[in-house]
Amino acid sequence: MQTRKTDSLSVLWRSFRLATWLGWQIESNWADPFLFAVYSLIKPLSSAAILVIMYSVITQADFESPIFPYIYLGNAFYMYVGHVMTGISWAVIDDREHYKTMKYIYTAPVHFPSYLLGRGVARFIIASISVLVTITFGVLFLKISIDPSQVNWGFFLLTLLTGVAMLALMGLTLAGVMLLLVHHMFGVGEAVAGALYLFSGAIFPLEVLPAYLRPIGFLMPITYWLELLRRLLVGKVASSFPTLQSFSNLQLYLILVTLTLLFAMLSFFVFRLCEKRAKELGLIDTVTNY
Amino acid sequence: MNFAIETNHLSRIYKIRNNKKGNAKELVALQDVSLEVHPGELFGLLGPNGAGKTTLIKILTTLLAPTSGTAFVCGYDVVKEAHKIRPIINMVSGGESSGYGLLTVRENLWMFAQFYGLSSKEANQRILQLLEVVGLADRINTKSSDLSTGLRQKMNIVRGFLTDPQVLFLDEPTLGLDVSASRDVRRFIRQWLDEHPERTILLTTHYMAEAEELCDRVAIINQGRVLACDTPASLKHRLQRQAIYHLEISQVNHHYSDDLKTIQGVREFVLRPRDGYTVLELILDRDETLAAVVNSLTENQGRIINLQKREPTLEDVFVDLVGKSMEDVERGNNGVNHSES
Amino acid sequence: MSNVAITASTIPKASGWKLFLKTVIARAYPRIIGQQREKSWMFFDIFLPILSIAAYVFVYRAIGAPEEYIGFVVLGGAMTAFWLNVLWSMSSQLYWEKEQGNLALYIMAPNSMMAILLGMALGGMVATLLRALVILFIGGWIFQVQFMVADFWTLILVFFLTMTALYGLGMMSASLFLLLSREAWHLANLAQEPIYLISGFYFPVKNLGFWIALSASLIPLTLGLDAMRQLVFPSAAQFGFLNLHLEIIGLGILCVLFLIGARYLLHYMEKLAIQEGRLTESRR
Repeated sequence: MQTRKTDSLSVLWRSFRLATWLGWQIESNWADPFLFAVYSLIKPLSSAAILVIMYSVITQADFESPIFPYIYLGNAFYMYVGHVMTGISWAVIDDREHYKTMKYIYTAPVHFPSYLLGRGVARFIIASISVLVTITFGVLFLKISIDPSQVNWGFFLLTLLTGVAMLALMGLTLAGVMLLLVHHMFGVGEAVAGALYLFSGAIFPLEVLPAYLRPIGFLMPITYWLELLRRLLVGKVASSFPTLQSFSNLQLYLILVTLTLLFAMLSFFVFRLCEKRAKELGLIDTVTNY
Repeated sequence: MNFAIETNHLSRIYKIRNNKKGNAKELVALQDVSLEVHPGELFGLLGPNGAGKTTLIKILTTLLAPTSGTAFVCGYDVVKEAHKIRPIINMVSGGESSGYGLLTVRENLWMFAQFYGLSSKEANQRILQLLEVVGLADRINTKSSDLSTGLRQKMNIVRGFLTDPQVLFLDEPTLGLDVSASRDVRRFIRQWLDEHPERTILLTTHYMAEAEELCDRVAIINQGRVLACDTPASLKHRLQRQAIYHLEISQVNHHYSDDLKTIQGVREFVLRPRDGYTVLELILDRDETLAAVVNSLTENQGRIINLQKREPTLEDVFVDLVGKSMEDVERGNNGVNHSES
Repeated sequence: MSNVAITASTIPKASGWKLFLKTVIARAYPRIIGQQREKSWMFFDIFLPILSIAAYVFVYRAIGAPEEYIGFVVLGGAMTAFWLNVLWSMSSQLYWEKEQGNLALYIMAPNSMMAILLGMALGGMVATLLRALVILFIGGWIFQVQFMVADFWTLILVFFLTMTALYGLGMMSASLFLLLSREAWHLANLAQEPIYLISGFYFPVKNLGFWIALSASLIPLTLGLDAMRQLVFPSAAQFGFLNLHLEIIGLGILCVLFLIGARYLLHYMEKLAIQEGRLTESRR
């Protein structure tokens, strides 16, 4: 019994490690390194710049106001959402329709969900570079003041990784859905991330939303994750908005962990359900390009 | 005389890019190929994988420019007059996955017919007609993603014939098909050409039997060079004066291969281990040499299980020209004149 | 056998503009039918983008922006649909076609590559138009945007010129895909947010300063969007980058430039790709 448990753990690890390596090869190896660097820098800085210009046009560049770091940091960390969710879910389409390796991976002795999670690691690394660059840019040029000595880095890192795990699980849910979808030309992961942008309090406090939409925001773990990350980096500035003011950092973290666990259960359930349905419909190795 | 296809000293060199910056390797895919294919011919290019067959087809179908030399299809230059060639040719490759999975067989074929300017009415009539001939009519409304490999290839074959091309290029059309589907495809190709004697087909294959069964003339190609070009009968006739034997022998020690090389009169041989015995294909200058082969076998603790003298095949021609079997060439067993596999 | 002469096919085949039209329709067909057979795009391509646009509206609300900015975002958000259609349904689609083996068949056929690209774009236009209209009208309704069209026919003209120039640009960029593979796919990926930024999808482009806005005007959506905002929102003239007439002239010039450029570039890139053997290679 013990051996079997060790075996299954080693299968999980092997699947994850292999997929991580493969994902990195796909994301980085074929592209020109210069292009790759530009891709992970220009894109995120542009999306930040859109918000910065929107903000400065209206406020005459009042970067001292607490709402600015709120928007800027929320947007920066939100990059993880698109990258991680896309990285994991896109692997389904890439392997099935493009490389046509899905059936071989699926029938190999690997743990398929772990494999898909591993495929998201490369995008997580790219996102980390983008987030770091965006925040550095904000600190250097846009008066985002982060005092490194005031930051509880251990807690910050723990929160960051918990959130990334939560996003990976959301990505897995989406990957399950992708098993049933055709190959659309647009990025489904990015579309979902774009939509969740609205409810997560990433770039505006939830109070701005109409009252009937706010509960969605409160149900989403991303909301607590972003709030906590902002508080840990810029302290008072972030907590000057009333949304989650009544919660301490620890409470926010506990809510995040609880919701993450709930999402974990939900995502494995949805994934297995979709997987079963995909097998019933014979979609595991389909090519649907249109 | 107007040839359907004509190439003069055609060569193509690929520059293989390295992922790391810097040196690009050169790969000679075609070298000094001169061929003439007559209208109405079913011309075969026979050679192992990597021999340059597909490269030649790409050049002739205007998808690739030659590095040097010239090529003409129906008298038009493939480089300068590609726009005149494209309306009158078509191509089918083995194992291709072209088309769109969400479309049905009829819709995929209709779409490709439109690219050639066929009216929808004409296209639909021809689709039905051709699907019936290849036995796919009952799947006309099946999504192409739901077809098996064999049926999908039949759909591709129909796509190639649908536009009634003057010259049709078939690049390994039976690749990956089972015996029965391959037979259907071969029968259809021959039948089409019999019914349209003014059309021309250039077919590449690495299946000897396919070339022998289908082709009016065959060019044997290896490492980018055409080694011989003639009718299958004439090619085999080259070996008429030689004695060709098929032997099944008990397992022998590995020196036997070296010993065979030293026997005078052994022109070529191929050794193939099978389950519990070894097949020895022999091309001898004369029958008398067989005695020396048998003696050597006995010295190597071997014995004959079965011995047949047989007529030459294209396989023998290939071995005679290249010095090894096509199977061995594909496995990259280079460097020796004789081979063991 | 050698006495057989080369004879042409007896099947009547269209050529010239008829073949062009047939090709456009034929390539649009899989898109339209594909969208009919698999409707999940409606959720991902119509419903979700509305939410994403709404996020930008609420940012403006959060920082107390004047109401016309809400209208700017809604109109800009609607126009993103066309840019995405050009990027993903036309230009980078060639990457998939190449990997799938269809590109070689397209090139080998007697049709024009421009017709194939146009077919792809028009096929995707059903979804694109629906997305744009839903964002415009549902978004406009939810956020109570006041559209006041000053001159309907000029608006139609601006839209038409913008689309022509935009799809011309799309065809030019598609030519890159004949030569490149994954690299071009990355380029298309790159051309999303930076273009939203410099073309002023979410704010008047004038705010970027004259020279940046002028450079960004090479992207037809920059002038098109600015002109449309001026025509739809009466107060937008003060936020406009150039005079409306100048913008229309600019768009006209871009139309001509990009259509000629697309024809030339597609031809040139095809030739180059044939020389280098890039049309049929698979560089995944």
